[in-house]
Order: sequence, then structure tokens, then C-alpha cells
Amino acid sequence: MPEIFVDGIAIEAKDGQTVMEAARDAGIYIPGFCWHPNLSIAGNCRLCMVEVEGESGGWMDIACNMPATRGMHVLTNSPKVQERRKAMLELVLLNHPVDCGVCDKAGECMLQDYHYEHNGAPSVATVAKHRTTKFHELSKRILLDNERCVLCSRCVRFTKEVSKSHALGILDRGDHSLVRCDEKRSLDDDPYSDNVVDLCPVGALLSKRFLYKSRVWYLDQTPSVCPGCERGCSVDLWHRKAEWKFAALDPRHNVAIERVTPRENPAVNGPWICNKARDLPDLLERPRGAGPMLKGARVDLGEAAGAARRLIDAARHPVALISSWASNEELDSARATLLPRFRCFVKADHLPQPGERVADDVLILPDKNPNGRRARELFGSAPAALDGADLVLIWGEGFDFAQVPRGAKTILMSPFLAPENGHADAYFATTLQTERSGHYTNFEGVVSAFAPIRPAPAGTVDAATLFGMIAAVARVSA
Amino acid sequence: MPGRALLMDFPVTATSHLLADYRARGGYATLRKVLTSMKPEQVTKEVTASGILGHGGAAFPAGRKWQVIHLDDGQPHYLCANADEGEPGTFKDRWILENAPHRLVESMAIAGYALQVRHAFVYIRGEFDLPYRRLQAAVDEAYDAGLLGERILDTDFAMDLVVYRGAGSYVCGEASGLLASIEGRKGYPRNRPPRLTVKGLFKRPTVVNNVETLANLTTILAMGGEAFKQIGAPKSPGTQLVSISGHVSKPGVYEVEYGYPVAKFIYDDCGGVLAGRKLKCIVPGGISTKVLTAAEIETVTYDHASFTKAGSGVGSGGMIVIAEGTCMVRLLQVMIRFYHHESCGQCTPCRDGMGWMHKLIDGIVAGRGQSGDLERMELIAKANDGTTICGMGDACGYAVVGILAKYRDEFEYWIVHGRSKFDGRLEVDAAELAHA
Amino acid sequence: MKHLIPEFEKIKRRYPAGFESSLLLPCLHRIQEDRGFVADEDIDGLCEWLGVPRMQVEEVLSYYTMLRREPVGRYHVQVCRNVSCSMRGAERLIGHVCKRLGVGVGETTGDGRFTVSTVECLGSCGTAPVLVVNEAYHENMDAAKTDTLLEGLK
Repeated sequence: MPEIFVDGIAIEAKDGQTVMEAARDAGIYIPGFCWHPNLSIAGNCRLCMVEVEGESGGWMDIACNMPATRGMHVLTNSPKVQERRKAMLELVLLNHPVDCGVCDKAGECMLQDYHYEHNGAPSVATVAKHRTTKFHELSKRILLDNERCVLCSRCVRFTKEVSKSHALGILDRGDHSLVRCDEKRSLDDDPYSDNVVDLCPVGALLSKRFLYKSRVWYLDQTPSVCPGCERGCSVDLWHRKAEWKFAALDPRHNVAIERVTPRENPAVNGPWICNKARDLPDLLERPRGAGPMLKGARVDLGEAAGAARRLIDAARHPVALISSWASNEELDSARATLLPRFRCFVKADHLPQPGERVADDVLILPDKNPNGRRARELFGSAPAALDGADLVLIWGEGFDFAQVPRGAKTILMSPFLAPENGHADAYFATTLQTERSGHYTNFEGVVSAFAPIRPAPAGTVDAATLFGMIAAVARVSA
Repeated sequence: MPGRALLMDFPVTATSHLLADYRARGGYATLRKVLTSMKPEQVTKEVTASGILGHGGAAFPAGRKWQVIHLDDGQPHYLCANADEGEPGTFKDRWILENAPHRLVESMAIAGYALQVRHAFVYIRGEFDLPYRRLQAAVDEAYDAGLLGERILDTDFAMDLVVYRGAGSYVCGEASGLLASIEGRKGYPRNRPPRLTVKGLFKRPTVVNNVETLANLTTILAMGGEAFKQIGAPKSPGTQLVSISGHVSKPGVYEVEYGYPVAKFIYDDCGGVLAGRKLKCIVPGGISTKVLTAAEIETVTYDHASFTKAGSGVGSGGMIVIAEGTCMVRLLQVMIRFYHHESCGQCTPCRDGMGWMHKLIDGIVAGRGQSGDLERMELIAKANDGTTICGMGDACGYAVVGILAKYRDEFEYWIVHGRSKFDGRLEVDAAELAHA
Repeated sequence: MKHLIPEFEKIKRRYPAGFESSLLLPCLHRIQEDRGFVADEDIDGLCEWLGVPRMQVEEVLSYYTMLRREPVGRYHVQVCRNVSCSMRGAERLIGHVCKRLGVGVGETTGDGRFTVSTVECLGSCGTAPVLVVNEAYHENMDAAKTDTLLEGLK
């Protein structure tokens, strides 16, 4: 455990650490585009150069590749370091288009931040900028602007080392170098491709689904958990800040998920998520059930709950299919209210779709539901047995109504608009994780929290509330 | 004759590069001596005692490099001869490859034995056609004669030698770029640490030596390190193959014993400047070494200490002679164009700096030079000094700074007047040449 | 390139085991020697045989100046334009070659016979100016020698 000195402060570095790692662990921020804690060292941006004091005047070198050796004295902000940094930033800026006005990355751009903090001076160059491709379709999901690219190679290293698709590389050489995808378009098939958009320190790599949607400073991030599979990656859901909500325009903009980014979680997903998480709006913003219905006729919640209670009271062999999308809290509520009365089986709300990766050794897992483990802990793992049931309570999506025994009644609780909603004896439109607080338990037992980003739509009801309403008057003992 | 000849010590004929002729000259006797009567450590000891410096340009003591290799670390070690020779003005390794390829093969077998190497490579630039065919033929002859492969000269030592062709990249002459290329990738140089002698080719301990450095091994092991050290100059033992070109009467490859006066070499041995012109300056050893004026070379001897004292360097041994009347602005333009073309593009200062430097000099030559352009070029040079992954960025900076230091007036003239002080001339007047 | 695989297997034997990626450059050289350039199907075949990602091959092909994915004329005339050659008449030589063949640098004659390129230092500065036709070096060139050379190339 070598002790080193950074700007005079003593730091205990771990064995084998570089000065960059040791400094960042100690909360000392050394700037750099190309270094990333989860990728190999590239050492090409040269921005992290630091000064090491020594007898013959010391030396300067990049911190990201500098072994932390006992007793070394490192300066991260000396006049020499500042001069070097300014020079490096001047050179990065040389061919950079500086089109922040039309660039999505503005407001979260490392180049902007570093320029203001470490340079701040206008460029001294008088020559024309090098022009190259803008709006290059790197994949169906990602656009590349090569003029903005600083060739840090983070994206290339990601596809080599993390997603292992080897989709990206740098073609040609010198200042004609271009990041490109291989001619087999392998990035289209890389389910982790969009992580390179986060990784890109500038606005070179852009997500097509987020392109021109919003300035980032109009948005808030709310922690949530991706329901795409049992890993339950930690995510941030981005949505418009209260004070920046649109007064005019389509009000759906004000409640929409503008984008999804990873929320760093060393215990679950590290700093990555897969593209399914990026596409959560497609999953969660499908048309919703409008409100409670009895055999397709819209009624108010009280009447529908009353009808449901009567169905439950009348049933002699009620079966409940438990949603594996339910939160821990909802499952607890279901256990307290349903289990005494119903035979309960856990249902997989979602199965792998054609073309969807089932599992790999990066993040993706085969169970495409966020809370199956907890549901099975409470309700067992037996496969559903519907024979002889005279009431089937279906909670969540993914149920084939043809399985309902002839003559049995149905109570359906689900968030989304579907033809079955009108066929159920009683239908309740339930809320989503984006409309309430709660927790999921992932495949390893890690519990993660999600928080609401919008009020629940009119006509919907929380499952837990509904269970309370039904249990209040249903006979508890069979 | 500029001193003793250790490498160019035989008459070149139509067959002198072949195994039979090489053997007749005593070839492979040293290898036999080494393999049958010396331990690997003893070989390294002789090389260290010789004090031989690398002939590729960095002048690092070869013995010190070799000593980093631990013979008993249980890992494969690799040896690579750097035959990429891309430095403008340099063509001396080519002489060895074409005319004395067995010298290299025998020396590499000796080095391989010393460093316990099973697989050795010669990385030869792709453009070299005849040198490649001669070297590959020599390697094939050596395999047939039991001088490479299993049980070399009937001993337990085995070594395979692969001649690996480059494909057009100056930066593959940089040791880590060279190894990247052998690994089947772009010639991207690498940051150190780790040193190549710790983690080099395929992440194993690797020694990369210049062709000429290696070719000297037979001499060193034949006469002994101490004896070798007595040749040449105190801090530069042995000889240097010098390739001389440009405005010189007798261009070519000469073997110069270290310590020999540079002026004598140019004016006497090489016939002086073309068409009886006066000397303006020289590029001593590859275009990143600082130019020395005609006056300055009068006191310089051909060795590392003397060149360093004069503010320049031996470099790659590629000397370029520049006659009076040559336009240094256009000359620098050619150099910068080269660096820009060859930048691998990895690191910010070189990638963006070379392009900027090129645009600036092109602007000056096109008559669009602005005041402050020279300061900008110096800023770029400074931004590349000690900041880059490999030495290429620095090299361009040195070329610029060196020429500006001595010929700034020519640049300022062009910026102010919109034209060259010397008609943009790079050639010695063709008409004069006709009458030479 | 499949017909070259037996040759490649032979080359492989002199390399340390487990580092097949090294064979990329020698294989590409041989493929280009055989076909005149490296075709898309050659890349596919090589990736399959070597087990390297396609991107690696594409990067290598784009980085090295001697490797090409498009054919050139029967005779690729490459003139050095670096320091010593420029000092001994390379610029005039390039102009002469272009004028004689009626093409610019980087272009191919209409009959497909000649492609003209400029290159950096070829390591032949002592015999400047120098040009290369396909692989062969032609040294100490001038206008007259160049004309004779080009006329002889059918």
C-alpha cells in the first residue's frame, strides 16, 4: 500500500494502482477524456499529464499510466501542468466544430467543462478546421459526428473489452482517423451499444432516440430499476423538471421518459445497461387501460371493487396468477390479502421475444421480469394449475386467456390497453413503477428502489390499494 | 577511408551476400564459438563491456537493455531486429540487408542465445523488395545448413527466425509500433510503463534492436567487448554506417569510425557539395536532428558527445547535405508534410499538431503567411515536446525548432514578401549540374 | 483466398503457437500479390480462417499505405517526394510522369496500364530521385530514363 503525495496531500494508494486511480479514489479529480475506471488504459488524450517532483527538475507524464510508487510527490495543478493542459485543450479544440448550439451533449460535455475550467481562452489557431463526416449512421440507434470526435477510443475499447462485439474501430490514421463500425454492421447486433453514447466525452456519439429531444438542463433524473430482466439494473429515468414543463404543446411531453441512462451500481450492473433499458419508454409508455371495467363497460372504482369482492366471495376454487413485475411492497400486500383465499402461482409476465438475447455473461439474464425471485419466495415456484378453477385473478401481462377454464370468472389487473381488458368480468387499470415508489429484488437478492417520475394517470389504481379494497370486505377465511 | 571498417569489410560482388561467400570470409565461426564455449550470460556481459549504443537513433546502450531480460523467468522471450528504416535520408540498414544478410542472421542467433529466445523476427519495411528477398534467401540458406531452427550447429539451442514484412508506416519503426504490427494490428505505439523488455511482443519480455546494432555482435563476440570498446570514440565505441545524400557529390553508405571529423567526411570522403557549390548546412542524422551550419560542422567529430555538444545528434545515421541557395522554408515544408502523413493519430498533440503545422507552413509557402505563424509553429512544437506516446511528435517539433533557430529570416522574409528568398529552390541548379 | 490457405498453414509453423493474429499482415500481402488488391470476400475468408474480428482486418487495411482494397493499373508507378529526392529533382520527375501519362497523382490511365502515386521516403536517398514500379526500385531517375522505362512497360 504505497503512500504517495498528491498536491501535498498524503494518499494511501492500493498496490498496483496508477496515480489517476489513487487520486480519484481519494477524491482528487485529474481531468482526462480517455481514461475510464472500467476500461483499459489508452493514454492518448494526454490531458491527465501531471508533474512529478524530483532531484533533476522532476518529470511530467500522464497520470493514468503512472504507477503510484511510494513517496512520489505529484502535482496536478502546478504552473507547468496548467500550461500543458491548456496546450492539449487548444489542440483538441483546433478541429472541433464548437457547434454546442446544436449539439445534444451541451451541458454534460467534458470538453465544455474542461475548457471552462482549465483553458477558457479563445483558440489561437488561424487555419481552417479539418472537415469530415457528420451525421454518420454508426448503427440503427447511434449517430456519429466525426468532427466532434476527440478519438479517445473509449467506444472502441468498450466494444472490445465489455460488450465484446468488436464492432468499432478506428480507420485510417493521423488526423484523418475515423471511428467506424465494421462493414458487417455488428453494432446493430450489440445489445450494449448505447453505452458508448454515455462513454463519449463529447457530442460525437449520439442516441438517435434522444436526438434533439431536449436540453439536458431542462431534465431531472430519478433513480429507478429496469424491469427488463431479473438483473434489475439501476437506471436513471430522465424527465422534464417541474419548472420546465411545457405549457403549450402535447402534455405527454411533460410525463414522458426522455431517456434512460445507467445509474452506477457496483453490486448489480457497474456503470452499464443494455439497450432494452434504453428502450424502456417503448415498454412503459404503451397505451394504458383507461380505467375500471366490468365486462367492457366503464364503471367507477368503487363499483368495480364491489363487483370483484362479490366474485371472490362466490368462488369456491379461486386461483390467482401473481405478477413477476410486482414490487416487493405489492407482493407483501398480495400475500396478506390473496393468499388466505386464493391458490397462488407466480406468472412470468414477459418471455424472451424473437431476436432478443436470452442471456450472456455481461448483464442479460433469461428471466425477463424484475421481481420473479421475490414473488417465488412468497408464493412458490409451482407451475400454474388452473383445472377446476372457477375464478381466475390475473395480475399483470403475459397470460393467455384461452387457458381460463370454461365457465370460470376472471378478474384482470394490468396497466396496459389490451382486448382482454374488455372480456374480463372485472378489469382494473393498475399503475406502473414510474408512478409510485417501491423496490424490486434481483436474481441475487439485491434490493433496489425506484421512485415515481409522474403522477398516476386518471383511472388507474395501485395494486396494493386495490388488494386493500377487495380484502376489506371479502371473507378472509375460506 | 573514414576509419576502420568492421561491417563494410569485404568487397561487394554478385555473390558476396550468399552463404558460401560469407562462410569463406569466416562467417558463423563466431556463432559456433558462442554456442559451444560460452554461457548466455557471458554473451550479454561481452555486449555490455563493448559499450555499444543502439544504432537506430536512440543510442541506448544495448547491453543495458539486454540485462533487463531474466533468463530464468520461465517465460518466452522475443528478439526483433528493426529493419523498418523509414527515417528520411537513412538507407544504411539496407546495405546490411542486401549485402551482408548472413551477418544479421548470425548476429541474431548469437543474440537469441544470449537472451534465450525461441522465436525471433526481423521487421522489414514493406517497400524494401531486394533487401527482403536477399534476407529471406539467407534465412532459407541458414535453415538448410542447420544454422537456424532446431539444434543449431548440432547444439541444444533452437531458434526460429521470421522475416516479417511491414506495409507502409513510418511509425512501425518505433519499437512498440513495430511490435503492434507483428501482432497483426495497426502500428500504434504504446505508452511505457511497462517497458518492452518487461512486456513486449505478445506481452512477453522482448528486445528490439536496430539491424546495425545487431550486425555488430559478430565483431564484438569475435574480438571481445573490451577490444571493441577501444575502437571509435570514448563514449561512442565502434563505427557507424552513415548514409549520405542530398546535394553531395558521392552519396551512398559509408562506414565511419566514431570520432572521425565530420567536415573531413563530407568534403574529402564524400566529394563535397555538388557542382562545386558551398555548403549551407547539414541534417546530421535523420530529419529530427537539429541542422548544423557549414561553420558549425568544422568543430564536430562523428560521435554522440560531439554532436550533443553542438546541439544536435548522431540520430539514425542519415546525413543530408544542403547546398547554399536552398530554400529552408520549402525544405521544412517537405519534412512537415512527411510527419503529417505518418502520424498514427492516437494522441492529441501529434495528431492535431501535425495537421496544424502542415497548414501553417503550406500557408506561408502559398503566400498567405501571417505574423504570429512562426510563434504558432513553436507553440505546436512545444506542445509536442515530451507529451506524446512516442517520439514522432517531438521529432517534428525538433525539426521545426532547429530550422527556425538558424534560418528564421527566410521564413520571415516569405511571410512579409509573399515569396521565397531563394526562389523556392530545393535543387542545386540543374544547369550547373550539367557543367559539373 | 481459400486456395492460399495451404501456403498460409506452412507460414504459420514458424510462428509461436496461439498468436495467429500475427499472420494477418503476411496473409494480406500474399492475397494482394495474388489478386492485385484485397477483396471483401478475402476479408471474410481471412476472418474465418484466422478467427480475428472483421474490424481488425478493416483497420489494418485502412492504416497501412501499401495495402489496398481497390485494384490499381498494371503498373503502379510510385515516386518518392521526400527530402533527398526533392533535392535531386523529384518534383520535376513527378510532373514529368504525370504529363507523360496524362494523369494526375492518384489517377489511373484510361487503358488501365499505369497508376501514379507519390510516396514518402523509400530508403534509397543516395540514388535519388527514386521511383518504384510495382515492387522494383528504379534509382537515379531523370526524364529520359523515365521515358525509356515507361515505354518498356506494356
